[in-house]
This record gives sequence, C-alpha cells and structure tokens, in this order.
Amino acid sequence: MTAECHISSLVVHSHPDRVQSIIESIGSIEGAEVHGGADTGKLIVTLETDTESQVVERINTIQLLQGVLAATLVFHHFESVQERE
Amino acid sequence: MDLTRRTILKTQAAAAAAAAAGVSIPAEAQNIPTGEDIQLQWSKAPCRFCGTGCGVMVGVKDGRVVATHGDMQAEVNRGLNCVKGYFLSKIMYGADRLTQPLMRMKNGQFAKDGEFQPVSWDQAFDEMARQWKKVLKEKGPEAVGMFGSGQWTIWEGYAASKLMRAGFRTNNLDPNARHCMASAAVTFIRTFGMDEPMGCYDDFEHADAFVLWGSNMAEMHPILWTRITDRRLSHPHVRIATLSTYEHRTTDLSDTALIFKPNSDLAILNYIANYIIQNGAVNREFVERHCNFRLANTDIGYGLRPDNVLEQRAQHANDAQVSNPSSFEDYAKLMSQYTVEKASELSGVPKERLEALAKVYADPKVKVMSLWTMGFNQHVRGVWANHMVYNLHLLTGKISEPGNSPFSLTGQPSACGTAREVGTFSHRLPADMQVANPEHRKHAEEIWKLPHGLLPGKVGYHAVQQDRMLKDGKLNAYWIMCNNNLQTAPNTNNETYPGYRNPANFVVVSDPYPTVTAMAADLILPAAMWVEKEGAYGNAERRTHFWHQLVNAPGDARSDLWQLMEFSKRFTTDEVWPKEILDASPDHKGKSLFDVLFANGEVNKFPVSEVDPAYENRESKAFGFYVQKGLFEEYAAFGRGHGHDLAPFDTYHQVRGLRWPVVDGKETLWRYREGLDPYVEKGSGVQFYGNPDKKANIMGAPYEPPAESPDAEYDMWLVTGRVLEHWHSGSMTLRVPELYKAFSGAVVFMHPDDAAKRNLRRGQEVKVVSRRGEIRSRIETRGRNKVPPGLIFVPFFDASQLINKVTLDATDPISKQTDFKKCAVKVVAVSAADAGGQQ
Repeated sequence: MTAECHISSLVVHSHPDRVQSIIESIGSIEGAEVHGGADTGKLIVTLETDTESQVVERINTIQLLQGVLAATLVFHHFESVQERE
Repeated sequence: MDLTRRTILKTQAAAAAAAAAGVSIPAEAQNIPTGEDIQLQWSKAPCRFCGTGCGVMVGVKDGRVVATHGDMQAEVNRGLNCVKGYFLSKIMYGADRLTQPLMRMKNGQFAKDGEFQPVSWDQAFDEMARQWKKVLKEKGPEAVGMFGSGQWTIWEGYAASKLMRAGFRTNNLDPNARHCMASAAVTFIRTFGMDEPMGCYDDFEHADAFVLWGSNMAEMHPILWTRITDRRLSHPHVRIATLSTYEHRTTDLSDTALIFKPNSDLAILNYIANYIIQNGAVNREFVERHCNFRLANTDIGYGLRPDNVLEQRAQHANDAQVSNPSSFEDYAKLMSQYTVEKASELSGVPKERLEALAKVYADPKVKVMSLWTMGFNQHVRGVWANHMVYNLHLLTGKISEPGNSPFSLTGQPSACGTAREVGTFSHRLPADMQVANPEHRKHAEEIWKLPHGLLPGKVGYHAVQQDRMLKDGKLNAYWIMCNNNLQTAPNTNNETYPGYRNPANFVVVSDPYPTVTAMAADLILPAAMWVEKEGAYGNAERRTHFWHQLVNAPGDARSDLWQLMEFSKRFTTDEVWPKEILDASPDHKGKSLFDVLFANGEVNKFPVSEVDPAYENRESKAFGFYVQKGLFEEYAAFGRGHGHDLAPFDTYHQVRGLRWPVVDGKETLWRYREGLDPYVEKGSGVQFYGNPDKKANIMGAPYEPPAESPDAEYDMWLVTGRVLEHWHSGSMTLRVPELYKAFSGAVVFMHPDDAAKRNLRRGQEVKVVSRRGEIRSRIETRGRNKVPPGLIFVPFFDASQLINKVTLDATDPISKQTDFKKCAVKVVAVSAADAGGQQ
C-alpha cells in the first residue's frame, strides 16, 4: 500500500477559561498544530496524519478535551507520499 | 512529499478553517494557493443526512463523487461540516451496493419462501403489479400501503402521495418521519393552525439563553451547535441549559444541566408555567390579544393495541386528541398544582436549578430559544410536551421575533420539506391540508385534474399501525421506500418482522443497500441515492434547497421517483377506480395511472430542453419531459397565496435555499409578526394566521406517568438514541470505513454503581432483556454518555444488536409517534451456558 499524507484543518470552539490548557493539550497530540484564534476561543488547528482514520481519531480526542465545546472539520487533502518525493 | 509542500498545504488548510470561523490568523498563514482542485467539477448540494440542511460542495471526477467540503456560501453552515457530512462522498460507494432487482424465487417463479435471485425491472414490476391487482381486487384499497421517508426528495414524496391517494385510492401512506417528529408536527397544527417553526436559525445569533429539551445537539446537530457555542463565546452573558435523562456531550458543555426522571419533563414545564403565572410574568396584553386557552382530554392511554389493559383502563384512549375551550383562570388553576416541590419530587432535579430555569423564561429581558428533538417527540405525551413549551413562550409573548423562538429541530433532511409540507402522512395533503376535510380533498382533486369524489377521506394506517395490520393480515401489498423500518420500528420481533414474513403479504423494499429491512422483503428494488438524481429537500428552518444530478447510479439502480412513475404505467383507471366515478368522468376511462397522474398536462408541461445541459437527468430522459420541474410547479400551486409560497423552480437551482413563504422574491425569516412576515396585517402586531381567529392555543395538560416503568424484575430504564458518527440505522454511515472504525458496535452505557451491583465489568458481554425481547451487547461505564443509576442508554445504529427487539410499541395517542426513550429492562451477564449455546 502506498503511504499517504493527510492534511486537514479544524475549528475548535473552546471555553474562554480553558483556552491555554486546550492549546497545550492539542500541541501534545501527534501531528496537531494550533495556528491562532486564542483571543476569540475559536482555535484554528491543522492535523497531519498518515491515514484518514487518524483524522477521525484525532478529532474525537480533541472533542473530548476538557473545555472543548465543538471541534469541526473544515478542510482535508491527501496525497501519496511517493508522489512528491 | 517534501516539507515545503506540507507547509503550503497546512497553510491552505489553516486559511480555510480561519475563513470558516471568521477568525484572522497571522499573515504567513494566509494567501491560499489555489489550483489543487482544477480537475474536479464542483456543484452545490444539501447534505444527505440530518435536518440541519448544511450546504456542501460536491466534487466530481470521471463520473464519480470524489470529494465534498462545507459550502462557504451556505448560510446554514458557512463552510463547516460535521464528520458525517465530511464523509458524504463515500456513502454511495459501499461494497454491497444493490445494482439490480432481487426477488425471492423457486423454480423460476416468485415464492415467498424462495431465495433472492436477480431479476429484470420488467420481471420485478410484473410480479409486483400482479400482487397489487390481486390484493386490490380481493380486499380493496385499504389492503394496499406504503411506508415512505423524510429522506425522499420533495418530488418523490409528492409522486408517492399522488400514486397512493389518487391512484390506488388509499391513505395508507406514512413516512418514517412518524417515528421522528410527528409530535412536533401535530402540535404545530393544534397550536398555530400551521406546521413548522415561526423562527429560523438566525435566532441563534439573537438569543440570550438556549434551553435544550431532550436534545443532544453537540452530537446530533453539531453544526447548529457550533452556532450556539459561537454565540456563547462572543457574548459572555449568554447561557445554555440542557434538560435530559442522562448526561452527554451537550450537558458537559452547558452552563447548567437538569437531569430528570423519564417523563417528568411534563411536570417541569408545568412548574415553569406556574412560576410565570405566580410571579406576575404573564404578558397580559399579548395573551389577551393573541391567545386562546384550552384544556386537553386527560387519561388518554398509550397508543398500544386496543386489547392492552392500559388502553382499556384509560378514560380517553379513543378521543385523546379532543380539547375544550377554557379560560386563563382554569388553566392557572391546573398549573397551580405544579409547585417547585412537586416538580422537584417528580423529576429528581434540585429546586434551585428548577427555579433558575423558570427565571430565564419569566424575565422579560431575556430572549429565549427553546430547542428540542427526540427526547420531546418520542414521548408518550409528546404532543403535550410540545404544547407545554409553546405555553411558556406564549404566556410571556416570547415568540416570533429574533431570539425569542420555540424551535423544533428535525432529524431527517426533508422531514419538513417532504413528510410535512408535501404531506406524506396518513392524514395529510399538501400545504397542511387534511384528508378528512372534504373541502381540502376537493381542492386537491381540482389541482390534480381528477374526478370529484376520487380521493378517500378515511385517515390511513400510521407507521406503527401499518406493522400491526401487516401482522394481522389486513395490509397485504406493501412498499417500503427510503427507510430501514425493521431496524427502527419498536418491538420489531413481535410487531414488525411477523408482518413482513406473513405469507398473506407481498413486501417490496427500495433501497441502495441490503438493510435488514430489505433482507426481510419479498422483492428488493435497487435505488439511486442523493446526487445520483436531481433533488430538493426542506430543512428544519423552512429552507427549500435543490441540487442537480451529478453522477449516475450504478448498474440498474434507479431513483424512487422513476420507480413510482414507471410502476404507475402498469395500472389502468378501469382496474383501480370505481365504475361510478369513471362513468361520471368518462375522459378518465381507459387511461393508465401514469397518464392521469403524471401526463396530465401540468406535470408534463416542461420540455426536457429546459434541463440544465451541464447536468444529467435520467428521469426526464426516461419520461420525455422535465419531470422534477413539472411535479414541483404543480405541487407549489397548493401553497402559493396561502402562506406556504415557494419560489419558481429555476430560482432554487441558483440559490443556497430559501425559507418559505417566499413572497415577491423575498424569503421570510420570522413568521406571524408584523414587519417580518408579509402575511400579517398592518396594525395587528402579531397574527397566528393559520387559525381562523388568528390566535394561538395555550393548551393545559397535566403530568401523566409513562406506559411502562421499572419494577422489581425489569429494574432499569432503557433509553435508545444516536451517536455522532452514525446516522440513524447506520445503513449509509456504517459503510464508510472511517466512521465504522470510529464507533463500530453499539454498547450499553451504564452507571458504574449499577455495573458493580450486578458484578459486571466494563466490556463484559450482557443481555438486555425486556418483556418483548432481548439483545446481546457489551457494558460501557465510561465514555461520552454518563447515565444516572437506574438507566441505560443503547444506540440503535447497529444491525447486529437490534435494540428495537427490546423496545415497547407505545406511542403518543395523539401523534402516533413511538416513545423510544422509556421502557423497563433488566441487564444480566451472558452466562457460560448461553455463550456455549451460541457457538
């Protein structure tokens, strides 16, 4: 099976009191990165994973973090790794 | 893939999310590189799943849907997508997709006890027509029936209604939406004389408080939930209160959660009404000008079979729907019993929380949006519960204006558009008209250009009654379209399955996949789905939206619309209509049902050349006219000028949906209030014009107990419902590998103390047993649903664990909607002997 790279992004609505701890928790998830939005509580998060199933797993993990009100997928793109290497 | 490229893609991903969220992010993360999607043809469509009605963009490459994403131009979801919507592109490509008709055969002929074998459409329809004609001849129209869907497109529901009511002359047509929101629909009519919410999703951006009654929006309506959380985060004064019988994602995220004992929501609602009255919070002027008071018949039974002791004991089981004119004083007297002490005792909710909630409704400065779904509607007193929440909004005048909004959410994409507006219920005609009303039938006969007296006035069998009549051998020719009823009906082992396999019956199922329902049928017809046909849905906020056919269905699969119309060609009026009607209307003699229903000069008015040449349209090609446009325009004639106005057909292909009534090209966001709704007369302020006196009904009703409660032997409440990853019975979402993996099998959510008491461990195999039947499942004491002691929650998506073998077929006696939220069960370990016996 060809290896794949999946890039996706989410909007993570976060409780104002917990934004910092949520940013830290997301930062510790493999392939997840926060790109901003702390001031409004709407965090812009990207995910880089090897499979599509991992996209769903990561969303569920983020969804269940204390203080996360909603985690919603916006963008997804994938391609095979060989294609570009 | 090199690092630079990963960075570029991530930048693009972040920019898309930021745009959808309306958030600005650092400059280096902007500047979207484009060009990725050049090979794809993108078109708009509403999502195939719930009643929210999100817009999605659908990318097609080489005749196949390969991608979808949230439509940035869609007002409903503004580019966002939930996880189900995100995987839409995969729902049509399950490995077991049906591509040809399958019939039970033995020795080359249909046999009820035969095995499924592939047949041609001609063979399938020949046998089906033979069976229909036999039943019609021997038993008459009342032995023919159809179970349809809130997932039908508008024109599919409309064609089905014409074929059943006018063609076969029976009202035995009901949608699966009966299981889903009949209580809401019936109460809209009883209260306002007109179906569907007065407000819309724009209320989310105006309300100060959101009260969720029996709705787990965070999982079931995730995109609407993001609109509430957006409002909550950007306006710190906003509060969310959630009422439920167990804790779930939505209660976690709310400011306050009221976990109440099953059925006691009635007592809580009446207590709030009492609080409003006792504390002088009644908006006297509004109530005097715009409301009537009525008291409902009480002790109305539970919609069980008439020989059930609970029905025989009930005083008003046979006239449950009756209510009588009353006064504010009498209503206030009834409510006065519901003190905070009584409500707290019945519900188990602490007094302070009840009082805090009552204040939200009573405070004239707080704009309240009440939202509800299945917890309210699937309720043996679902109609009363709906009435009671309207009572709160009407007493305080908090209705029909931005932010003040009692709002019934829906679970299916066209529960409103097709089941309700088109009127595919056993008692309804288009535009809120009723089959029992001779004037309404006459009007329908005129629009349909059919002989006077043709349409039957007797209300047909509703969903649960259809199952009972199949079992009893009184309903014999039965067509199930676009639903999975053997999985979703109540008490299926005793009341549904026996009817499907009753040798006196011929059961046809049209579906894209071999669901448990299809596998129990005699004939399976392969259906086209979603963007494999041109379609129209109506969402929960009265928004009608269209899509084009974007790809072809595989093999011989055909849309429900094609199936209905093609089947109608096999009958002549002389075969199915009474002689006296044809004698009085000789023009209709010797015609096929297709001729009189679909080639009637209206439906076939628009040529195929009007179909957008950029898109395929199989039905129009097959029948030689623009089928969807003709059906829609004929249907729209029912509502135009009567408060149900729809825009011209072509408009809907251009826009991201419009909320009816659409008057002079403008949609209506809030109904019944002057200045917002063109139907309200100047100087009147508010008019509930669905009723002749233009007033709404405040309906007094008491708390009454459920049909079945836990006892010494069956000692737990059972609540069934859904999970985020799967939509209803899972026939589509379970075929998406990623969603299947995310939540692959149903589990029994149980309180850890209840598990310990029974010596059960997390993950252990158990039996859930009721007086009706049992299933095997596994115990879950953690996770997203936290149930209180004494109650279990089991999702119903899993066909290998049919929890509806266990549920009770009690319904609201008025709406006939089943209560899937409360019956009594016991949970026992699967013993070694049981396990051995299974292997």
